[in-house]
Amino acid sequence: MNNRLRLKQAWTIARIELRRAFISKRAFWVYGLALLPAIIFFGHSVAVKFRRERLSAKGLVRPAVMDSIRPGEAVEAVLERLGKPPRDFQWERYRRIRPKGEAAGITAHEIISHRRLTYFDGQREAILNFTDGKLISSQIRRLLSFEEDRRIFAGVFQYFYLRLAVFFGCLGIFMNLFRGEMLDKTLHFWLLAPARREVLLAGKYGAGLIASAVIFAGGALLCFGVLLWTHNPAEVQAYWRSSGMGHVFWYAAAAVLGCIGYGSIFLAAGLLLRNPVIPAAVLLAWEGINNFLPEILQKLSVLYYLQSLCPVPAPVDKSMPAILQLLLAPAAPASRAGAILGLLSVTAFVLWLACLAVRRMQISTVLRRRNLC
Amino acid sequence: MTEPTVIFEEVSKFYGEVLGVNRITLRIPPGITSLAGPNGSGKTTLMNLMTGLIHPDHGSISMRGISSRDPERLMHITGYATQYDAAPRWATGFSFITTGLLLFGYRRPEAEEKAWKALETLGLAEAAHRKMASYSKGMRQRVGLAQAIAHEPELLVLDEPLNGLDPLVRAETIVLFRFWAAQGKHVILSSHVLQEVDAISDRVILIANGMIVAEGKIRDVREEIQERPSKFIVRCREASRVAALLFSEDFITEIRLNEDRQGLLVLAKDRERFSRSIRRIALDGHEIDSVIPADESVDALYEYLIGEGK
Repeated sequence: MNNRLRLKQAWTIARIELRRAFISKRAFWVYGLALLPAIIFFGHSVAVKFRRERLSAKGLVRPAVMDSIRPGEAVEAVLERLGKPPRDFQWERYRRIRPKGEAAGITAHEIISHRRLTYFDGQREAILNFTDGKLISSQIRRLLSFEEDRRIFAGVFQYFYLRLAVFFGCLGIFMNLFRGEMLDKTLHFWLLAPARREVLLAGKYGAGLIASAVIFAGGALLCFGVLLWTHNPAEVQAYWRSSGMGHVFWYAAAAVLGCIGYGSIFLAAGLLLRNPVIPAAVLLAWEGINNFLPEILQKLSVLYYLQSLCPVPAPVDKSMPAILQLLLAPAAPASRAGAILGLLSVTAFVLWLACLAVRRMQISTVLRRRNLC
Repeated sequence: MTEPTVIFEEVSKFYGEVLGVNRITLRIPPGITSLAGPNGSGKTTLMNLMTGLIHPDHGSISMRGISSRDPERLMHITGYATQYDAAPRWATGFSFITTGLLLFGYRRPEAEEKAWKALETLGLAEAAHRKMASYSKGMRQRVGLAQAIAHEPELLVLDEPLNGLDPLVRAETIVLFRFWAAQGKHVILSSHVLQEVDAISDRVILIANGMIVAEGKIRDVREEIQERPSKFIVRCREASRVAALLFSEDFITEIRLNEDRQGLLVLAKDRERFSRSIRRIALDGHEIDSVIPADESVDALYEYLIGEGK
């Protein structure tokens, strides 16, 4: 038996598994996880587009005039200088007051009037809050900031996509490569194939890897595409020429490497353990507390390497509790080459363990009678 | 040149604390060999050990010179039709067998041709393109058998292979087994239907409680069976009278009268002479309602063969 035939066997096995990974009912929630950020970004883009159009249709103010607004200004002065706002919202609030002296014990009410004016200069939106005719607070922000959106994307990618979507997606795909066969009582079909157990493992892992990489790298690219879609084409082009291509590549690479790492772990877990919930919970907790661990242990985490590959550091909200900040903050990153090599080393080690397990794998007739295997 | 043999050397297998098989030593030459034994005796365990689906805790197995721990080489020469009828959800009968053959390294046209041939042999050509999930238990059994024979293996291991086959396909399959055996191949099958074992096999291995209780050519076992008294339940109106008539025969070893005095339990050493006597008694005017053999199951044979040890 030569290696070419072994390769052919692995590909035959992978083709069958690929069909199941892409089309089965189980695949739909994996698609859901992969596409969720793209759907959210798409919804955000559409909402912003409509908001811009609505505000622009009611007139723009000059940026300099918008910047001239100062706290404490009277609403009339602002209206005179900036003109009729695209949005004007007024409301009143009653406040209970307790007079002192002779009138003590009689409850009276005071009316406080509020007004919110919204102006738009074509890029930025100014929201001005007035109380009793005086400007109390103002917020001027870009309605659509490319830089801010890229930071948000970095946050979504690292906090949701890598930690949860890729993690649980790989759990669903890889854990079932062998465990699904055991539950369907069809594992003997594969074990009776004239193939080495390692070839069976390679075929199944390859199928899981192709499926998860296509789904999650595709999901990340789609999300990035949606992010770019709303922004000024000139700005996008400039970004694309400078670092955009590299960013896209590294996001896709991180997603694929996530599938490689998590995939190997869940494949091995599916071979070694009966209950998938336990290894998933343990690994999720391990990845979560990774930042508290000594440096050497940090390197035994898939997330550590993946975060090192991300081109934009994930933003950390300073107003968050310190413990959450610690949990979410990425550890000191490894070099990209080191991260890739480290991740591939961890994967190779886990796959070697999986090979040992698959070689020892047996059909248990006792378990079969109990409908377990 | 020595003929290829299936060899078990001191093989033991335990499922935790449950005994699978214990210290089995066997040499099975080519031909049709039946593993016979009551349910739970270890027949399937023995077959799973032969095909590497399970590994022995102790001892070694050589299948025509190949270790059972080397599936790559072993399954090239082996076809195993398991008792498990669970089918992959993705497969039709045809795609199931073709995919299996592709793993052997056949090119697709060749694999498809062999798959068709196997399906036709087992009478499944019409249902070939239906999803296996929609097959009946008998059809799934036949697909399993078709898959086992599709690559024309030298060693066929078949767990209850004739279950679920209609009489015509059953007869054709037996002819096929004989044809392969005549070519010097191994056909190892399990069964608990005695007549089936008797009709098909060259050799028989009797197994109980995970141990070999008898092994050898089928005629030796048949003789052993014939020496054993057969049990019959006779329902009749005049039980005492019929018992007296039967007791005069020398082949009757024991008669027990039923409490309702309308039935007898008869132990006879010669089945044919017993049948003739009963017929004669009936023709003499004694009313016989029924005569039922009470020990035709394989369990009863084992009770006899291994006595208290069963």
